[in-house]
Amino acid sequence: MNDIIVKTVARILIPFIQLYGIFIMLHGHVSPGGGFAGGAMIGTSFVLYTLVFGIDKSKKKFSERVSEYAESGGILLYIALGLIGIIMAGSFLTNIDAGFPKGTPGSMFSGGMIPLLMIGIGIKVASTFITLFHTLIEEEEA
Amino acid sequence: MIAQLPIVSMVMLLGMALIIPLFKRRNFSVTTSLGFVVLLAVWVLTLLVLWHVRVEGPMTYRFGNYEAFLGIELYIDLFAVLFVFFILSLIMVIYVYSTGDATEGVAEKEYGRYYILLFILLFAMLGIIYTNDLFNTYVFMEILSITTVSIISIKRKKENYTASFRYVMLNEIGSLSYLFGVALLYMVTGYTNIGLVAESIGQHWTAYPANATTAIGFMVVGVGIKSAVFPFHVWLPDAHSTAPSSSSAILSAIVVKVYILIMIKVLFRVFGLSVLDVIPVSTLLIAVAATGMIMGSMFAMAQTDIKRMLGYSSVAQVGYIVMGIGLISVLGLQAALFHVVSHALMKAALFLSVGAIIYKKKIRKVSEFNGMGFEMPVAMVVFTIAALGMIGVPMTTGFISKLNLGLAALDGGQAVLVFVLIVSGFLNALYYLPIIINAFLKDNPSQIRVMRVEKIPKTMLGPLVVLGALIVYFGLFPGVLIRVLEAVAASLL
Repeated sequence: MNDIIVKTVARILIPFIQLYGIFIMLHGHVSPGGGFAGGAMIGTSFVLYTLVFGIDKSKKKFSERVSEYAESGGILLYIALGLIGIIMAGSFLTNIDAGFPKGTPGSMFSGGMIPLLMIGIGIKVASTFITLFHTLIEEEEA
Repeated sequence: MIAQLPIVSMVMLLGMALIIPLFKRRNFSVTTSLGFVVLLAVWVLTLLVLWHVRVEGPMTYRFGNYEAFLGIELYIDLFAVLFVFFILSLIMVIYVYSTGDATEGVAEKEYGRYYILLFILLFAMLGIIYTNDLFNTYVFMEILSITTVSIISIKRKKENYTASFRYVMLNEIGSLSYLFGVALLYMVTGYTNIGLVAESIGQHWTAYPANATTAIGFMVVGVGIKSAVFPFHVWLPDAHSTAPSSSSAILSAIVVKVYILIMIKVLFRVFGLSVLDVIPVSTLLIAVAATGMIMGSMFAMAQTDIKRMLGYSSVAQVGYIVMGIGLISVLGLQAALFHVVSHALMKAALFLSVGAIIYKKKIRKVSEFNGMGFEMPVAMVVFTIAALGMIGVPMTTGFISKLNLGLAALDGGQAVLVFVLIVSGFLNALYYLPIIINAFLKDNPSQIRVMRVEKIPKTMLGPLVVLGALIVYFGLFPGVLIRVLEAVAASLL
C-alpha cells in the first residue's frame, strides 16, 4: 500500500495502540482485560504495520527468530513463575504464600505474581498473532 | 516431595515442546536425544509415583494452596498413574521408532514441528488423566484435539486436509457436547471439582432428574464421538490412515483410549452407581458396543487400503472396551481396562509394522502384501503376532481380554454378548488371516521373486520386537496386570 496518508496515520497510531495494549496487559488483575486482550492489541498493531508497509519491512521489525524466542519465552516465563511456587510454598502457581508482595489493592502493583503472569501471556499472544499473520501472507504469496 | 512429581513431569513435557523451536538451527539429532532424555526422566518419575501410590494410596494435589471448591486439583490414584505409566512406556517405544526416519511422508524441515506436537499431545493426555476437575478435562481435551488435527494434517496433502477437517468438525461437536454436560452439572451442583460434584449429585440428583439425565447423555455422547464409538466413528478411518505411521499408532493406540478413560471417570467417578442403576446407560452402551463390534469388522473387511482397514478394526475394538464398561461390574471394568492395554499394544504393533513396510516398499494395498513375509520377515512376524492377538488366538493378550470379557458378560447374565464376541472374532479372522497367509505362503505374481531381505533401521526394528514380545508376554503371564487392574476397577466402582 503506497499511500502517504495511510502511512502517516499508521505511523502516528501504532505507538498509541501498543501503549494501550501494554496498559491493558498490566492492569489485567484490577480492570477488564488482561494478558490475552493486551497481547492481541500489540499483535494487531504489528498486523497494521504489515498491512501498510509490507511484509518485508515488517519482518525486519519482528523477525522469525524473535518470534520463536518470544513464543517459547512467554510460556517458559509462566512455567518458571509456577515453579517458584513449588520451591517456596510447595505447590505449583502459589501466589501470596510463595512470598510475592501483596501491594495495595486496586493499584497496578498488587495481586502478587498475576501481573507477571499477564506479561508472559501477553508476549505469547502478541507474537502468535504476528507469526500467524505473517504465515498467512507468505502462504498467499507462495 | 513425591506429590510434586506429577505436575513436574507435565511441566517437563510442556517445556520440552517449547524448547524444540529454539534448537531449530542445531543438528536435529540433538533435539531427538534431548526429547528421549526428557521422556525417560518423566517415565522414571512416574514409576516413582506409581510405587508411592501403590504403597500409600491416592493423593490430591492442590494448585496454589487454594481450597478444592476455589482452585483446581490433580487427583493421583492408581487408575490415573497406572495408565499414565502405560502411555509413557508405549510412547517411548513409538518415539524410538519415529526417530528411525519412519515419520513417513513428513518433510525433513517439519520434523521439529512434529515433535513439538508430540510433546504437547503427551502433556494434554497426562493432564486429562491426572486432573480432578471437569472443566480442566475439557481444556485438556481441546489441546489434545487441536494437536491431533495438526499431526493429521502435517503431511500437507489434500486427503490429509479433508481428513483433518472432518476430524475437527466432529470432534468439536464432541467437545461442545461434553462442555454442555459440564455446564448442566455446574447448574445443579455449583462445582466442577469431580469429588465435590460426585458428593453433591449423590445427595441431590433425584431433585433434578432431568439435568442429571441430560448431562450424562451429553457427556457420554461427547466422549463417545471422540473415542469413535460405533455410530460416531466416521472420522476415524480417514484420520488414522492418512496420518504418518508412527502417529497413526499413537492416535489409534493411545489417544482414543484416553477419551475412554474420561468416559470411565465420568460414569463411575462423577455419577457413580446410584445414578447408573436408575438411568439405563448400561443397556445403551452395550447395544452400541455390540453393533460396533460387528459393524466395525464388516467395514474393515471391505477395505483395500491396509491402514484404513486397521482404522476400522479400531472401531470394532473400541466396541469391546465400551461393552466391558457397559456391564458396570468389577469384572467387566477390569476386562475393559485390560483390553485398553492389550489393544493399545496390538494396534501399535500393527501400525508400526505396516509403517515399516510402507516406509520401505511404498505400498498400501492389502493385495500387494503377497510374499511380504520373505522380503520383510521381522515386520511381518510382528504383524502376524498382533493380528493373531486381534483374532483372539491363545498365547496373546487378545485372547486374555476376550476371555475376560466373555466371563464378565456371563457373570452379568448377558450370554448374547458372548455370541457377539465370537462372531466378531470370526470376522476379525476373515480379514486378518488372508493377509498373513498371502504374505507367507504366496508369491507375488506381479514381480520376480526377490529373495532379498529388506533392512529396516535398527531404531525401527527394536520397538517392533519389543511390542511383539510384550503381546506374547502378557498373553502368557497376565496375572500381575490383571490383579492390578482388578484393584483399579474395584477402586472405581
